[in-house]
Amino acid sequence: MTTPTRPSLDDPSLTIPVEHAGIFEPIPLARTERQREFYDLRDGEMLLNMGPQHPSTHGVLRVVLKISGEQVVDLDPVLGYLHRGVEKIAENSDFHHIISQLDPLEYVASLFCEWSPVMSFEKLLDVQVPRRAEYIRVLTGELNRIASHMLFLGWYALDLGGITPILWSFAERDEIVEMLAAITGAKLLFNYFRIGGVNGDLNHEFMSRLGDWMSRAGAQLEAGMGLLNENEIFVRRARGLGVLDRETALRMCATGPNLRASGVPFDIRRAHPYSVYPELEFEIPTRREGDSLARYLLRMDEVRQSLRIIDQCLHQMPDGPVMARLPRLLRPRPGRAYSAVEGPRGQYSCYAISDGTDQPFRLRIHDPSFLHLQLVGLLMPGNLIADTMAIMASLDPVMGGVDK
Amino acid sequence: MDRAFRALIERTFGDDLTGPVRQRHDETEMRIRPGDVPQVMRTLHDDPRLRFEYLGDLAGVDTGTDFQVVYHLWSVVTPDWLRVVADGIPRDQPRIPSITFLWKGAEWMEREAYDMFGLVFEGNRDLRRIYLPDEFVSFPLRKDFHLPDDASRSPGGGVRPMEDAATPADAAETTVRRTAKAR
Amino acid sequence: MTAYWNRLSVGSRAFLIIVPALLVVGAILTVAVALLLPPVLDFLAANLPLARFVAAAAAIIVVTIPVAFVIIYMELKVIAAMNLRVGPDRVGPYGSLMSVMHGLKVLAKEDFTPRGVDVPIFTLAPIVVFASIPLTMLVIPFAPGVFGQDFNIGLLYFFAIGGMSVVGLMMAGWASFNKYSLLGALRAAAQAISYELPLTLSVVGIIILAGTMSLNSIVQLQAGSFLDWNIWKQPLGFIIFFIAATAEANRTPLDMTEADQELVAGFATEYSGMRFGFFFFAEYVNVFVVSALSAVLFFGGWNAPFNWPFPVTLSLDPGGMGLGLIFLIALAPVAGTIILGLPFWLLSSRVSTLRALVIGFVLFNLLIVGAFMGWAFVSAAWVSGLVWMMLKTFVFVFIFVQMRGTLPRVRVDQLMSFAWKWLLPAALLNIFVTAIAVSILANR
Repeated sequence: MTTPTRPSLDDPSLTIPVEHAGIFEPIPLARTERQREFYDLRDGEMLLNMGPQHPSTHGVLRVVLKISGEQVVDLDPVLGYLHRGVEKIAENSDFHHIISQLDPLEYVASLFCEWSPVMSFEKLLDVQVPRRAEYIRVLTGELNRIASHMLFLGWYALDLGGITPILWSFAERDEIVEMLAAITGAKLLFNYFRIGGVNGDLNHEFMSRLGDWMSRAGAQLEAGMGLLNENEIFVRRARGLGVLDRETALRMCATGPNLRASGVPFDIRRAHPYSVYPELEFEIPTRREGDSLARYLLRMDEVRQSLRIIDQCLHQMPDGPVMARLPRLLRPRPGRAYSAVEGPRGQYSCYAISDGTDQPFRLRIHDPSFLHLQLVGLLMPGNLIADTMAIMASLDPVMGGVDK
Repeated sequence: MDRAFRALIERTFGDDLTGPVRQRHDETEMRIRPGDVPQVMRTLHDDPRLRFEYLGDLAGVDTGTDFQVVYHLWSVVTPDWLRVVADGIPRDQPRIPSITFLWKGAEWMEREAYDMFGLVFEGNRDLRRIYLPDEFVSFPLRKDFHLPDDASRSPGGGVRPMEDAATPADAAETTVRRTAKAR
Repeated sequence: MTAYWNRLSVGSRAFLIIVPALLVVGAILTVAVALLLPPVLDFLAANLPLARFVAAAAAIIVVTIPVAFVIIYMELKVIAAMNLRVGPDRVGPYGSLMSVMHGLKVLAKEDFTPRGVDVPIFTLAPIVVFASIPLTMLVIPFAPGVFGQDFNIGLLYFFAIGGMSVVGLMMAGWASFNKYSLLGALRAAAQAISYELPLTLSVVGIIILAGTMSLNSIVQLQAGSFLDWNIWKQPLGFIIFFIAATAEANRTPLDMTEADQELVAGFATEYSGMRFGFFFFAEYVNVFVVSALSAVLFFGGWNAPFNWPFPVTLSLDPGGMGLGLIFLIALAPVAGTIILGLPFWLLSSRVSTLRALVIGFVLFNLLIVGAFMGWAFVSAAWVSGLVWMMLKTFVFVFIFVQMRGTLPRVRVDQLMSFAWKWLLPAALLNIFVTAIAVSILANR
């Protein structure tokens, strides 16, 4: 490797001088066009900071609101409070070790955080995953999707003021994670997928819990959803809130339920199928209104479809090994691989570059929540402060993924 | 691996490609010059035979010698992912045109690439750091970024002073001597 | 001497200090009371209404604290049951002492004043908010004869003093040097003022029907059976009143002011310790007061839902029993304990004699207390009235708590538009219809 030239750290275009801001000097030096536009306060406007410590932002997120009375005029999210430098860490880790470190990115749906990189590595190594392992991946992935959507339901209701649905949905989530804990050994950060398969076959406890749950799941989930679907106050608040039209959704690179609720039937499981999804029968729920209520109802429809998929997986699962035979020290040949999965929040993808050594040269993780936070700034203006949280909750961001 | 698609790309972009169109598994990769990014993207987006309306990812890469910006796109026309690599961005002038005129959602992805690599996207209205604090002076994902040298110089990040082995210059005698009673 | 002191334990030291101190203080107090009591009693006898007022105010302030504790405990447990949880269950039997612990915790917290606040207003705001509530309780009749004051403008007084808490909220929001508090206070003031109108107008129907604003009289006019209650005559008025009362008490679904998902704690963001405790208490006592008012105005107050078909008099003449009374008092507990403990001792081999005696004793006590309470209930009107009143009040408190557990929050603009566009016209309609009905019936 040739000696790279260091960029000059005194280059004025690369640094900004920051004066120490006390509480009486609120506005920082605005540097970019958008910042100047934001911090240019007109008469009657006020900056309100919903700080990183807040009972209701979905993780550590700081949002600077520009309000005029009770109405929000503009919004500037400030990220980075949970930035862990995962991509840099990945450049210093083995291919096998990385999987456990990528779990806490989107911790609510951590199996999808593992699935996408694992698929990229399998492409780099030209590894064929056994069919049973693929079915297990789909099965556990769909269970994780249901658990994640249950969390969304609870959190959304909590942000609107209802304190009961979150406890009901967590009771559901509890059952699902107990199931997954029986095979993976963990309840939140599963660390289950491996390059070439999964870590261990399904066992008796998992199957008995799953069978038990599946017999009641439909009715139980409908009861939990019914708490909100038929609640007049909830529906009145969610309907017509934060309408995202089709063109804007595509331009803003929205993915997942947020995109499908705006009328674009794009689901990676059908658009660019991976794993064994081509063999499974399920529908892609789509709605056209694009408001918060549509996003909520769409996620509930997805839960029902996931139940269908789990049922089919259980019936169609073949026997066989669950892990391909791979050496411990992996040295793929130099190349690049990209793979995307449909996570509960949208497209979760991983771009891996290998240079022939046993550590990846570059691992780029693309998280959907990152782009959905841009949507908040677009959908908020004109609404009230109370709706900030409602809109953000309906877009379902998870700050672990946003901040990497 | 869509062979017909590869032919289509080579026909449409002929001169703009700086290397062969490679295909592996379910991806098609094309390389272009950084300056050509806007018109290539516009062609990919608007051309009715291509219709790449979906931007999957925008990543920066440091190859050790220079930078790349890698875009991943999807279209209904082909089952493959299209990877567009804008290669050969010099380290001392890391500038590349922005694609926020087509996809506004790329704004934050370009901010992240700036934050991590120092890539300056011309035309991005909001090019400032997104993850790291504003006072941070270095770019972490570059290959020549070494902890603790760079990061420790900025108050926002890096190692904590306690891990710094050398004693501070203005330490009191007692701190240096570490004895119970002051001299 | 010092050596002797050093050898004592802590308990003994405390004993040796406290007991002589108590004796001395007791002696002084006895002398003082003996000397000063007659003039004090004369003064009280001369100014009976004032004395009554002071006693009532003191009683109310003393009573609000246990009531708030009970309501807080109810909220914790009932909402937990609705959430499929258990709620507090460690602190006392079934967690019943949890509210007491909350109260003590709030007292023990650091009480600081943030930088930049307007100190006098900041300090007075919780007091203003809290003070208005016991004052409103002064006019509510809890039982025949058990009320603070019987104003002939009682209802008007109630709403007037109840509106004082709005001033307190705005003081709190402005004085805290905080944008969140300011916004919260503005919302609170807007909400309170918007809902004051439907609240007061919804009871005008009752005033027309009763002909008086005195709450005592309103309750007396509902005597009879439950068919005489005002709810049948003013159903729309009750609905409006209840919704507006929910808004006045800042309860979900109309609790924009303290929506902690949006503005941390609204106007009370900068308050901690006992100051926050005041706001907290004031809200729960307000819930109690508003429930009590609902019961008084619409559900007959302290009237039982049906008349006792025959009066029960106990013709016991203790004096006539003579010496037998002493034998009764001496032997009844022993006999009762043995008789009530006998079945347990006989039927279960796991119950030892001592245990059976203890069970018997407890049951005997319960029996006597139950008999006494039953006698008080049927013979003293104020006891039965108080029991019915408390029952009705706590039904409404339960409804408030259940609404909190079940419903999400209404957005602030929807809240305001609901008050102005729906509740206010409905209240006016109610008055109109009531007035027409009364005039038609009077002319007939």
